[in-house]
Amino acid sequence: MAAGGPRRCRRLEGETARAVLANADTLLFDCDGVLWRGEAAVSGAAETLGRLAAAGKRLCYVTNNSGRTRLAYTEKLRRLGFPPAEPRHIFSSAFCAARYLRQALPPGAAAYVLGSPALAAELEAVGIPHLGTGPAALPGPAPKDWVQAPLDPAVRAVLVGFDEHFSYAKLCQALRYLLRGGPDCLLVGTNRDHRLPLEGGAGIPGTGCLVKAVETAAQREAFIVGKPNRFMFDCVAGEFQVDPARTIMVGDRLDTDILMGNDCGLTTLLTLTGVTALDEVRGHQDSGCPARHSLVPDFYVDSIADLLPLLGE
Amino acid sequence: MASCRRLSGAGLREVLGPAQGLLFDCDGVLWAGERAVPGAPELLERLRRSGKAALFVSNNSRRSVAELERRFTRLGFRGVRAEHVFSSALCSALFLRQRLLGGGGNGSGAGRVFVLGGEGLRGEVRDAGLRLAGEGEPAPGEPVRAVLVGYDDQFTFAKLAQACGYLRDPQCLLVATDPDPWHPLSDGQRTPGTGSLTAAVETASGRKALVVGKPNTYMFDCIVERFGVDPSRTLMVGDRLETDILFGKNCGLATILTLTGVSRLEEAQAYMASDSAAAKDLVPNYYVDSIADLIPGLDE
Repeated sequence: MAAGGPRRCRRLEGETARAVLANADTLLFDCDGVLWRGEAAVSGAAETLGRLAAAGKRLCYVTNNSGRTRLAYTEKLRRLGFPPAEPRHIFSSAFCAARYLRQALPPGAAAYVLGSPALAAELEAVGIPHLGTGPAALPGPAPKDWVQAPLDPAVRAVLVGFDEHFSYAKLCQALRYLLRGGPDCLLVGTNRDHRLPLEGGAGIPGTGCLVKAVETAAQREAFIVGKPNRFMFDCVAGEFQVDPARTIMVGDRLDTDILMGNDCGLTTLLTLTGVTALDEVRGHQDSGCPARHSLVPDFYVDSIADLLPLLGE
Repeated sequence: MASCRRLSGAGLREVLGPAQGLLFDCDGVLWAGERAVPGAPELLERLRRSGKAALFVSNNSRRSVAELERRFTRLGFRGVRAEHVFSSALCSALFLRQRLLGGGGNGSGAGRVFVLGGEGLRGEVRDAGLRLAGEGEPAPGEPVRAVLVGYDDQFTFAKLAQACGYLRDPQCLLVATDPDPWHPLSDGQRTPGTGSLTAAVETASGRKALVVGKPNTYMFDCIVERFGVDPSRTLMVGDRLETDILFGKNCGLATILTLTGVSRLEEAQAYMASDSAAAKDLVPNYYVDSIADLIPGLDE
């Protein structure tokens, strides 16, 4: 990390780049917009990571996406030509949310889940009973029928992740559990990303929208597992011996990847192959606002493939 | 600042005497679920006999005003006609008509409206002369010019994504019928309100919605346009501090909180004790346990 002073978002090149890479043992990569966009790998990214791995660097993947299991991520990495990764190197918001609930819930407590089969699978992997994924299965066509459906007495948490089956009926059920439990029912969200980018510049609403709907109906704030919250870094640090001063966070979003990296004392590297343009960073740098300065990375590259010439064969 | 005084006895006559009319919220004021608040129909009858106007202003965007008129009758209220009822569904349609059709004319060329809501809301939008997205063949040059978020118990992720698609056009308006985060059910449970769905659409689109309903003042503008009320001689009666009482304050009306609905007296007192200027706007001038308590303030 740059010692003292505000972060300057310098281009990472030349001797500085060699020094920064030499001083790092671990690199944490966001995935969407950094390694790939949809099913298309960023050109040169796989080769860059291959050389980093060959140089003995530990590579971990830290993603707010809650729609895939860790195993599915290892398969995607393999499919796109990245160096082999084991599930233990993957830190998705689904995996971390399951870890969080395992710590926070009493044994036997269940979660009502607005989320994907992957999120359900991660909960199963840590032994947390769950209900709610998939289309709402409620009696009758209208709210007056739905509020008669019995509530599961074991539920002590509502977990909100990316849910293509999100509906008013499910929102209604989530609200019922939260009202029944009060502060004894946790409200947890995997992440606040408001948009999930797809290939070609299109996008769909992100989990953050669903979290906001539940928070508004329940008039309370969710605990968010994903970046920029430091919980996901704590999961990495729990699995591997990482020294923040020798760790680089590589991401494309300032308010998630870079903010988390900065808050955890990591060296932060912005890549421009994703959602952020450089003038956004300059805007934060030039603002008088300390909160916005936390969004400024130490360094940037146009693409992580820019690091290739610095890494030997 | 308003002082949240209980309205009774001589105070009742002092306040009601000079009033030309009263605006009533409906849910939690006149009725709760399918039951009229005891004494509420009699109050309206006594107002009519005293020559005072009674108008109705509701954030509920589920029903058309025609349905609401039938509901009034079914619950025992006499003499309430659709033209007296200002729902957020009606007023949202009027708002969109103003913005999309301007001074008049028919619907062609105005563009279509994508409505997240039930048949009551959709009907009001059609009755205002607007065409709905997803109905009939879109004519060339008929883009979606507004997304209207109302109470939609059939809301889905797919509809959220569709709304965002339309909102990528900066010319497309984002309008919400009301800001209510939840609504009470008669057994004490709650059901999510339009506010929670609007929050999802705002977050996904990066846009802020124009909110038609209370506490914003547009519905009062609709009332003034149709009936020409004098705010200084009109009282606002409601059960929800954050919508009804703030609406009254914003429109220059004296406010009466009734305790048969959402807000508790302790909440009003907490706002009164707060240091924040915004909190003080949520304090009603007066309160009653039920609107039936207003009856003794009217002439026989």
